[in-house]
Amino acid sequence: MGNEAIVRGAIEAGVALASGYPGTPSSEIGDTFARVAKELGIHFEWSANEKVAMEVAYGASMVGQRSMVSMKHVGLNVALDIVNLMSLRGVNAGLVFVSSDDPSQHSSGQEQDNRWLAKQNNLPVLEPSSPEEAKEVVKYAYGLSEKVRLPVMLRTVTRLSHMRSDVAMGPINKERRPVEFDWEGFSYRVAGFSNLFYRERELNEKEDRTREEFEALPFNELKVGGEEKIGVIGVGYSFTYVMDALEVLGAKDRVAWLKLVSSQPLPSRLVSRLLEAVDTVVVAEEVDPFVELQVKALAKDVNPSMRVVGRMSGDLPREGELSHELVDSLLGKILGVRLSTVERPELEEEKKELLFDRMLTMCAGCPHRSTIYALKQAVKELKGDLMNVVVNGDIGCYGLAHAPPMAFEDTYFCMGASLGVSQGMQRFGVDTIAWIGDGTFFHAGIPALQNAVHNGAPIKIVVADNQAVAMTGFQTNPQLGRTAMGAKVEPIMIEDIARASGVKHVEVVDPYDLEAAEEAFKRMLRAEGVAMVIARRTCAMVAVRNMRPDRPPVYTVDQDACVGCKACLNRYGCLALVWDEDAGRASIDTTLCMGCSSCAQVCPVGAIHRRDER
Amino acid sequence: MKAFKMVIAGVGGQGTLLASRLLAEAAINAGLSVKIGETYGMAQRGGPVMGHVQIGGESMNPQIRRGEADALLGFEPAEAVRRGVTYLKKGGLALVNTRVTAPVEVISGMVPYPDMGRMMALLGKVTGNVKAFDATALAEEAGDPITTNIVMLGALTASGVLPYGEDVVVETIKAGLRPQFIALNMRAFELGEKAYKGL
Repeated sequence: MGNEAIVRGAIEAGVALASGYPGTPSSEIGDTFARVAKELGIHFEWSANEKVAMEVAYGASMVGQRSMVSMKHVGLNVALDIVNLMSLRGVNAGLVFVSSDDPSQHSSGQEQDNRWLAKQNNLPVLEPSSPEEAKEVVKYAYGLSEKVRLPVMLRTVTRLSHMRSDVAMGPINKERRPVEFDWEGFSYRVAGFSNLFYRERELNEKEDRTREEFEALPFNELKVGGEEKIGVIGVGYSFTYVMDALEVLGAKDRVAWLKLVSSQPLPSRLVSRLLEAVDTVVVAEEVDPFVELQVKALAKDVNPSMRVVGRMSGDLPREGELSHELVDSLLGKILGVRLSTVERPELEEEKKELLFDRMLTMCAGCPHRSTIYALKQAVKELKGDLMNVVVNGDIGCYGLAHAPPMAFEDTYFCMGASLGVSQGMQRFGVDTIAWIGDGTFFHAGIPALQNAVHNGAPIKIVVADNQAVAMTGFQTNPQLGRTAMGAKVEPIMIEDIARASGVKHVEVVDPYDLEAAEEAFKRMLRAEGVAMVIARRTCAMVAVRNMRPDRPPVYTVDQDACVGCKACLNRYGCLALVWDEDAGRASIDTTLCMGCSSCAQVCPVGAIHRRDER
Repeated sequence: MKAFKMVIAGVGGQGTLLASRLLAEAAINAGLSVKIGETYGMAQRGGPVMGHVQIGGESMNPQIRRGEADALLGFEPAEAVRRGVTYLKKGGLALVNTRVTAPVEVISGMVPYPDMGRMMALLGKVTGNVKAFDATALAEEAGDPITTNIVMLGALTASGVLPYGEDVVVETIKAGLRPQFIALNMRAFELGEKAYKGL
């Protein structure tokens, strides 16, 4: 896997510390470190958030230890504060951070291109084109980081992070460097106070040195024969689409090309060699026209009459990831080659009419579903109408509360925002519920909670506490009492944080007990000031896994007692429920049921019971 | 060699990712190059999952162009149709688990689940080679519905489309499992093989 190859590269480079915060498509980097760290004598941690992860790595760098930090693209927004200073003050031992960007938003709310953030901070960016190359590029990146004294961004995209291919492995480097803080040499020491400021010139010079490095970077490959009129630049993973298109178009000999792995700073002499040789240059990259813009600027000096084709020119879409179809057809058009493609418009149309979308939803037995059900009941009873309260959700599985049949969530933005935006609404008398998960609470919820208490915003908070960072693959968080490497540690409980922060009304409830949960939510809604209910129940997926090899005690619908009212389906809608059209009765899919009992509590006629309790 | 191209379609939680990984590991064990591309944004939450598997060939990009897949491994009928219509080549092999995993739209009564006959007829317009059976029932027979993916691998292996043999697949599955789960999964694998041969 691309993400695993990145870890392997770091291990072969002798990395001593790795940190990160989970987020698709980056999570497997940390997951892989978590599996091997102990054995290899590496420290790995899931940090509280991306900023902390970056700071931990920076500390390691300052005492001479190579480090790696991983995050999804939006994580860099959180870490940017320290990244900005790392770039100005410089690093000691190599520090490589991975930004896993997500063009087409397979699992993100946006598709921001983090190369702009690297450029803003004059940082080197390396974009490998394959897992194998990623491993080698990581090893190179450590040397570069130490040579130019800058953190290096390794930028991947979802397709590369999540692709798998065979990768040849090199030897593991278990040698550890001596631990020493560099007392004399570095600019992060406050003792050299004057060193701390006005560092922009030095940073610009570092960027120039990096550019020189990249002019001769072996991962960048230029193929210019001399006769070609058309050139293509494939940046990182996009290069694979270019090669496949040239193959299928039979145009490998007619086109000059550049595989560009170093996209920032742009090696301008290398790129100029291509621009000088051709009349038209196509830039294929994910996802903004980052290289294209710079190529256009360069072309003004090198070859002013040339045509630059890409996302900025409108020949490729301005948003969304590339595909074979897009690159094939663009290059085919430019080369005047007609491609035979398999298009089935009539069948696609018939398919569209026949199939549903398959919306995302919570898993069978998900405790969040029970929490939302009970919360809705409480709001209906106390507020009359569900529209009398704005539910501000947050980032995690529970964010699917907006999906039918629950449909009880009105906004969600970024980590921890539920608590903040609720305060601005509550200030003007709009009733809100902040709906946040346990992992997200630790990441960015705590300052916002304390802000509510300090500034007297009487928000109501429901913590969807499933004892797991479930959406990204069950990483650790501070309340689980164990680290990513398996060490037992003191769990930090959300209720303790809330109480210590001055929240007077804090309750913990089991959402599988729908009535008890509903009552707790009513007490929260009636409470004065900031109030919190923690709906705590282990994620259904973890629960089922923990039962293996046993199967859960499944529930069943008594077909004689069921009146076919569909309350369980329409109002609760667990994935394990099935409607039998012919019988006009509900039933339960025993392969999916995990025995939570919630639907039995929802059924108005008591037709659902545990199969072994008849 | 010319690349063998396959699309795997299913729903999050069905074990499609493990299936594609086992196929890739088997390819490596057989000395072949392999690429897999997976789409599984938040798929654990009941969403659609798709995997592209390419064994052999020169390309470094695992994505398969429309209408170019030699085979389709469909873990759920509607998902098989969704991907098969787009990606399967004319006459390619479509292995379809007929066990329905209803989406939340169906469960909550917004839309009906599509008619099975119409779905298979639509897939039939792409290929005459549709092999459909209830793989989940066989997995239950083996002892745990979670082994549906292994049943599907058994059927795929028996079809003979893979560029490597049964022995490689079996060894790879055994090597990838904890010892206490090997017998269960081998039962599932054999039930899948038998099911294909009986189709």
